[in-house]
Amino acid sequence: MEKVLLRNVDAPESHTLEVYRARGGYRAWEKALREMAPERVTDEVKASNLRGRGGAGFPTGMKWGFVPKDNPKPKYVVCNADESEPGTFKDRLLIEKDPHAVIEGTMIAAYAIQSHTAFIYIRGELSFGATVLQNALDEAERAGYLGKNILGTGYDLDVILHRGAGAYICGEETGLLASLEGGKGWPKVKPPFPATHGLFGCPTVVNNVETLAAVPWIIDRGAAQYTALGTEKSKGTKLFSVSGHIQRPGVYEVEMGYSFKRFLEEDCGGVRNGKKLKGVIPGGASMPVLRAEEIDGVTMDYESFQAAGTLLGSGGVIVMDDSTCMVRAAWNIARFFAHESCGQCSPCREGCHWMEKIFRRIEHGEGRAGDLDLIQSISGNIAGNTICPFGDAASWPAAAFIKKYREEFEEHITKKKCVRME
Amino acid sequence: MDPVKLTIDGREVAATKGQTVIQAAAEAGISIPHYCYHPKLAIAGNCRMCLVEIEKMPKLQIACNTQVAEGMAVKTQSAKVVEARRAVMEFLLINHPLDCPICDQAGECRLQDYYMEHDLKGSRFEERKERDRKREIFGPHVVFDGERCVKCTRCVRFVQEVTRTEELTVVNRGDQSTIALFPGKILDNPLSANVVDICPVGALTDRDFRFKVRVWYLKKTASVCPGCSTGCNVSVESYQNRIVRFKPRVNEAVNSHWICDEGRYCFHSLTDGERLSAPLIRQEGGLVPTDWETALHVALSGLRAAAPLAGIVSGRNTNEEAFLFARLMKRLSSEAALEVFYRERALTETEKILMSPDRSPNFRGARDMGAGTDGNHNSLAARLLEGKFRGAYLVGEDLAALEGDGGIEQRRALEKLAFLVVQDSRLTATAKLAHVVLPATHFGEKEGTYTNRRGRVQKLNAAVVPPAGALQDWQIFARLLSKMGDGRSFAGPAQIFQAISEEIPAYRGLTYERVGDQGVLLAGETKRL
Ligand SMILES: Cc1cc2nc3c(=O)[nH]c(=O)nc-3n(C[C@H](O)[C@H](O)[C@H](O)COP(=O)(O)O)c2cc1C
Ligand code: SF4
Ligand code: SF4
Ligand code: SF4
Ligand code: FES
Repeated sequence: MEKVLLRNVDAPESHTLEVYRARGGYRAWEKALREMAPERVTDEVKASNLRGRGGAGFPTGMKWGFVPKDNPKPKYVVCNADESEPGTFKDRLLIEKDPHAVIEGTMIAAYAIQSHTAFIYIRGELSFGATVLQNALDEAERAGYLGKNILGTGYDLDVILHRGAGAYICGEETGLLASLEGGKGWPKVKPPFPATHGLFGCPTVVNNVETLAAVPWIIDRGAAQYTALGTEKSKGTKLFSVSGHIQRPGVYEVEMGYSFKRFLEEDCGGVRNGKKLKGVIPGGASMPVLRAEEIDGVTMDYESFQAAGTLLGSGGVIVMDDSTCMVRAAWNIARFFAHESCGQCSPCREGCHWMEKIFRRIEHGEGRAGDLDLIQSISGNIAGNTICPFGDAASWPAAAFIKKYREEFEEHITKKKCVRME
Repeated sequence: MDPVKLTIDGREVAATKGQTVIQAAAEAGISIPHYCYHPKLAIAGNCRMCLVEIEKMPKLQIACNTQVAEGMAVKTQSAKVVEARRAVMEFLLINHPLDCPICDQAGECRLQDYYMEHDLKGSRFEERKERDRKREIFGPHVVFDGERCVKCTRCVRFVQEVTRTEELTVVNRGDQSTIALFPGKILDNPLSANVVDICPVGALTDRDFRFKVRVWYLKKTASVCPGCSTGCNVSVESYQNRIVRFKPRVNEAVNSHWICDEGRYCFHSLTDGERLSAPLIRQEGGLVPTDWETALHVALSGLRAAAPLAGIVSGRNTNEEAFLFARLMKRLSSEAALEVFYRERALTETEKILMSPDRSPNFRGARDMGAGTDGNHNSLAARLLEGKFRGAYLVGEDLAALEGDGGIEQRRALEKLAFLVVQDSRLTATAKLAHVVLPATHFGEKEGTYTNRRGRVQKLNAAVVPPAGALQDWQIFARLLSKMGDGRSFAGPAQIFQAISEEIPAYRGLTYERVGDQGVLLAGETKRL
């Protein structure tokens, strides 16, 4: 398979402008600027069927098309580089190894919606990535790809790098915008949506790093080449961050529709130390876990994961072997969400901690009959009833762990201890 | 204003485009439970109490942020909605201290009320509750209990959007979220205590009212703030015949949902202290108690013999009182000089949101009644100092005690008068100089009307009963008038208002009933505050 996203990362000095250009970089930018009207760029991305890689899978071209053309306010593009979903580290690879692709994609998106200021909001902890990106931005500006009257076309664009201060919720697009505005990272109630009322109340497009990194390739090669990859409904390729009890962890680029089982067993070398697979979370910590036997026949694309009762999410594949205590795993994830809930809305603020406290009790041998149903009920009361999808992200995994490994939870409760952690 | 038709719980409701479901429902008399929504603050959508079911939408929607649409079918009582509400109540209560027995909010608390309506179940929460600050002083009037707070952010939005003073914010995340003062700030803006009113629970309480009375014992009287001529609508709340607090009463033409702190607490200075319980007359050696008949007789004959006469009425006297006072003084001497007491001070920008510069709530009305000219009492006081008058009748203002405001000179001028009648509720420094002191009432004991700065006539109602021995100001004037042979008898404020509507052109055609509890604008007045 020809690599779309990881096409440059293995080249020596791939982060430099020189290497990037030598490998065809900024060709798409010049093409867009010189040969394509802004709407044509959006149309091309629409035709590619590229879907957002930040987790929600929203069609990217359609998102750009929502930005009103007659709105007199400034428009903004924000590259979401806050990557904080546990088990997800694909954006980081692109940022550190192919920063110019991320920047070029951001620039093309900006041109498509006629924005003159774009932002890259990077997770605070990614300080090396921030340095790499800033250097790349400086290089691009010196080369005349950014700034005023770019390449003599009269088009102006600045790209501003902004570092977050350490909150998972600032990856949620409206939380991100609130933070970028200088406020607390509190997601905003919708409607209105960012496309019309985003950053500082102006029309704004927020896209994930991986989404934007695919754009230069699509513009350079044309949508048809992109749609030639993947399945009926999931086009192109997707990055998967593989971690946990696996032989070869790392970031993999996979053509949509690839066999999940084959991917884990062959590409990633299977479960490490000869152990057996117990479960796998395919889409980052916020997505429902699959039991080992559930992955048979599943392919790596939006439809198939959904049919299996989970979601592609951010593509953070977390592999758990048969030595894993699923109660502890569930508690770990619940603890993460309890810690990261922004605290704005009642169900999430109170419910996440409540679930965490119950999981902790069960793991410590203090579980009670009724606890499992109680968690299921709390989870159900949070999901769908909150300001932002964090509520779903926190409640789905809790419910899924109990549903899929109920016998193990019950064992903890009846034996009043965790047999695995002894 | 495009009309939109929708149904709420099967009932057809007429709304306008741009309205939210919660607004349309409220107008149709359907109240959707809510904490964070407040009609005067930006939508926060954080409490999730207002979740409703909307046909064709898979998920429940918050009524406070969902706009009405033609043909929309809203359900506010379906099983799904009731369950969601119960769940939100449960979430809000898991870390709540449930200290209702020692909470001032008990009895007017949304957590209590909605629990009774929507939950009524034991708690499934058996973990350790999170703790927070129990009594942090936020400012001169407001104290915070973090454990009771439901994080609705109404208080934060109030200081952001209404006063723009930004003292408060939310700090921390998740269940550690709490309301805090910005470093170096205290909640001391001129409207600060409104946060207590809008806090739906007992997290913000009023330091002045705290632990005084359980609210269910309060008697609530719709009235008007006597603080200034904005004339904010208030509920005067009393217990055992003592006023214990003011709460704002909503009037969009005047004060919306707010009152200022100065107004809120002004009842203390206006009602505290020992009351006069009998009329006093000056005899050798000082003032001695007497009966009303004697006092009125002495007052009348003294005033008759003391022309030229000056009369000053308080800006807190009602229109009805001022009307009779003017009638009385003109009967005593067609040359009598009359003015209404007036004092003002410069206001800050934040004060200007609501307050008027004066301390005379009925300055305009009293002048309309003929109790004052285009000026105010200051010109009259200056003439008093010059010795231009021999007699004076002063009502409800302690001229001799005006600190740093000519008090000493006023005192000397008053001492020089041949005859001075003072009518007040307390034995003031001015009253001590009088030849006759007539015990009257304060604003909280009166019924009648005030006319605010913008020409809105509004009704005062008596919240408490005056002490035995005092008379209503209007009664005193009416008795003096009848002693002078005035043929018209006045049986009460309503009848006096009737006379006003006949005799004062600007008030022509008004009736006491029409004034109601929201007031009426005088003809030709269109301004709102
Ligand atoms: C709790 C939460 C955290 C999120 N974190 C990220 C993130 O770190 N990076 C990201 O790109 N999208 C994140 N998202 C998704 C964004 O809200 C948004 O959908 C995405 O940035 C849109 O870009 P895309 O259409 O290119 O996927 C998060 C969503 C939620 C609910
Ligand atoms: S769902 Fe959670 S993270 Fe999202 S706004 Fe509500 S409290 Fe904050
Ligand atoms: S203190 Fe009261 S008004 Fe402020 S957030 Fe808490 S509950 Fe709401
Ligand atoms: S603004 Fe005036 S009328 Fe309103 S509460 Fe304050 S003092 Fe009273
Ligand atoms: S009132 Fe609608 S969410 Fe609070």
